[in-house]
Amino acid sequence: MTLTEAEIERYSRQLVLPEWSAAAQYRLRRSCAVVVGAGALGSPAATYLAAAGVGRLGVVDSDAVELSNLARQPLHFTPDVGLMKAENAVVKLSALNPEVEVQSYPVALTAANAEAIVAGSDVVVDCSDSFETRYAVNDACCAQGVPLVEAGVLGFAGLVMSIRPGTSACYRCAFPIPPPADSVPSCREAGVLGAMAGVIGSLQALEALKLLTGVGDPLVDRILHVDAGTRWTVVETSRRPDCSACADSPTPAQSESTCSG
Amino acid sequence: MTALDLRGVLCPLTWVKTRLALETLEPGDSLELLLDPGEAWESVPRSAREEGHRVKLGDGRVTIFKGDR
Repeated sequence: MTLTEAEIERYSRQLVLPEWSAAAQYRLRRSCAVVVGAGALGSPAATYLAAAGVGRLGVVDSDAVELSNLARQPLHFTPDVGLMKAENAVVKLSALNPEVEVQSYPVALTAANAEAIVAGSDVVVDCSDSFETRYAVNDACCAQGVPLVEAGVLGFAGLVMSIRPGTSACYRCAFPIPPPADSVPSCREAGVLGAMAGVIGSLQALEALKLLTGVGDPLVDRILHVDAGTRWTVVETSRRPDCSACADSPTPAQSESTCSG
Repeated sequence: MTALDLRGVLCPLTWVKTRLALETLEPGDSLELLLDPGEAWESVPRSAREEGHRVKLGDGRVTIFKGDR
């Protein structure tokens, strides 16, 4: 396997990193990542994954671009208002890096379809904005044995954790019970600053790159909490033997998806 | 001995291409480079030493012996 001259030039600033290598770049090129949500977290996460040279990238989002999205979702531009986010993401990411095969899933991820969407991928980056979706993504990744990067952002704070199912704490191990529905303000109610979401989404891309290439030290069994971008706190977490998502090491199943084969 | 002509190549692509060539070699193997004077001649040998390789300069060429880390 060799890198083309164009690839060497495109990826030169990561190829010069002492920790990086052609082997890491090949691993990335052979990898498939699925980003759930093309919004405030998904925009930077998908952008950096495509830019870094992940081979295949799936983008899941059932929403259309709205004017109120543009202050924090830099994949979407003013003329894109009204377009499906997943499809607009494919256009933008393909223009950024034509080497990447980008696939849109303009559907809502639910417990019913989550396993089919994540099956066969090498990492899932959860950029969704509800606890219900996060648990569905987590449970599907645990069932399929797919590494996962979880995150959330609200106001001026956010958190990130990486999950190797069956090896490290999953999202349900760390947060076994969803908060009462009426206690959780949505982004719409609480607000979020786009640049703060950008920090967290970029960290998610960084975690996914670590998980895919083996370069660096991913945040497994740890939760990174970022407060206003100035206080960074790492909290340790561990697997729960009675976790309903990851306690029994499930056998990865094969199913039809763009990422299999 | 592997040789690489990097004349006309600009930094940091000089070091990128050197690293990629070194990655295909075994520890102790050598890589001979032709480099433009100036930035490339200054920085490529330094980068190689920083990453644990042995460097020999002379005769308008740079020879890098791959380290074992």
